[in-house]
Amino acid sequence: MKIEEIKELVDFILSKPVKEFEIEVEGLRLKLVKPKQELAAAASPEARAAVQEEDREEKSGEEIHYITAPMIGTFYRAPDPSSPPFVKEGDHVNKGDVVCIIEAMKLMNEVEADVSGVVKEVLVENAQPVEYGQKLFAIIPDND
Amino acid sequence: MIRKLLIANRGEIALRIMSSAKELGIKTVVVFSEADRGSMPVQLADEAYCIGPAKPQDSYLNMAAIMSAAEISKADAIHPGYGFLSENPRFAEVVEAEGLTFVGPSPQHIRLMGDKQRARKTMEELGVPVLPGSDGVVTRIGEARRIAEKIGYPIILKAVAGGGGRGMRIINSPAELEENFKTAQREAYLAFNSQDLYIEKYIERAHHVEVQIIGDGERVLAIGDRECSMQRRHQKIVEEAPSPFISPKTREKMLETVERAAEKLGLRSLVTFEFLVDEEENFYFIEANTRIQVEHPVTEQVTGLDLVKDQLLIASGEKLGYSREDVKTFGHAIEARINAEDPRTFTPSPGKIHFLFLPGGNGIRVDTAVFQSYEIPPFYDSMLAKLIVHGRTREEALRKLEVALLHTSIVGVKTNLPLLLSLLKSPKFKSGNYTTRFLEEEFIW
Repeated sequence: MKIEEIKELVDFILSKPVKEFEIEVEGLRLKLVKPKQELAAAASPEARAAVQEEDREEKSGEEIHYITAPMIGTFYRAPDPSSPPFVKEGDHVNKGDVVCIIEAMKLMNEVEADVSGVVKEVLVENAQPVEYGQKLFAIIPDND
Repeated sequence: MIRKLLIANRGEIALRIMSSAKELGIKTVVVFSEADRGSMPVQLADEAYCIGPAKPQDSYLNMAAIMSAAEISKADAIHPGYGFLSENPRFAEVVEAEGLTFVGPSPQHIRLMGDKQRARKTMEELGVPVLPGSDGVVTRIGEARRIAEKIGYPIILKAVAGGGGRGMRIINSPAELEENFKTAQREAYLAFNSQDLYIEKYIERAHHVEVQIIGDGERVLAIGDRECSMQRRHQKIVEEAPSPFISPKTREKMLETVERAAEKLGLRSLVTFEFLVDEEENFYFIEANTRIQVEHPVTEQVTGLDLVKDQLLIASGEKLGYSREDVKTFGHAIEARINAEDPRTFTPSPGKIHFLFLPGGNGIRVDTAVFQSYEIPPFYDSMLAKLIVHGRTREEALRKLEVALLHTSIVGVKTNLPLLLSLLKSPKFKSGNYTTRFLEEEFIW
């Protein structure tokens, strides 16, 4: 099996609500055992994404801080459609800077960075619904 | 017809509502707290949204978050279940103001029934018997003496600001009244920061019997009664339909009285009228619940109705499809609530269910949302499952319940199964004549 094929297979298994998975092809044996939490979480696409992000974090080995949604609502990257986004990948943010808006019940709620650092990744598309606690930005915190 | 229903609840009732909705072809959305991410309703709904942390105030009681989830999911109706926001008139108003359908009675009726003094007055005016008592607050002992003479001892002094069994004193004679009135006022002041008291007749041996109402705003039907006297700490644990205590004549009178009052009010959806019934079968209105009740399945089993489905149809604007003559009662149904708690101290016992087996078969129904390896979160109530049996007679139902309980296995947390099983051995329970004091004061095991 090629490494690409294994990666694809692992991603596929992670997306299914199965507890254990075992396969043997061409002398290669692969066994996957999911922790309980992931199993339960596999049902929602957002949670699935979160699980995969965690994996990425572990692999890269660098410390990553996530800014999460403080409420359920619609995620906006800019104050209005004609403005540039508050932040983009590679930008440096200071603690307290507004990074996005979550609209809930027709109210625009500004979300502030709870840490200073560099934006590694914006995890949600503009104008998408987000749940409470959903990861919005991956930040590499400054070293003090 | 409702297209997409948001269920603003958790646990077994969320699943119960979901089943009826799916049967009607309605799409389902559940909202959940962080503690319920791995729950069955979240897995089985068409859509699920996390609305906040575990604490109920931050999630299941958070109106803004729930309304925001409704907006995102484009739900056109909200079912509140029981508990949480189900009897909050403000929530019903907000839902309707947003142009959504609230599956329940009108906000005005929820508000009316939530105000116990106003509800009592309204019922009295509509010809429903209420407990004799004071007309509001009693401040002086002379007044208390006069009311007590009129209604007869024993009476109960209740703190207006009290509730849930706190701030009450039972008075058996004029001498006791002299002795206790001022103390009760002082106590009420210390406990609730208000010395206001009111008086009600005290019924020593009372049965708790309730009447189920269903209405479409025009036609209102009383479809049956339930005996709910098996209680501990004001929490019901066994319910029966019909009540084994009241006579057919009393039942007829109760249903008639309630139906007339409910029709005059123009109630819609499901409402339950709770009564205290004394040894002579006099019945007195205590309160009305403007939501689906936990114990609704016993009524469903003996009538063959699907109350949640009817609730959804009525909310969709349909008229009640049946009349009182169409509602036939068959046999006897009993519900036992299986709780994760210490059976003697009633202390909740959250934790992980390592092994689970639930019974089934002829005349046995289990309403639950738990599964093997489920972790019972400590933030919500301790009910794990409702075991409902239906037999041709009460005797048959009792036997079925015993077998079903013996075939239930829950390992990992403490449950009240031992208590339920010993209850079935009690001659008093078997006789069908037990009062609200039975479980806590008389039952020895």
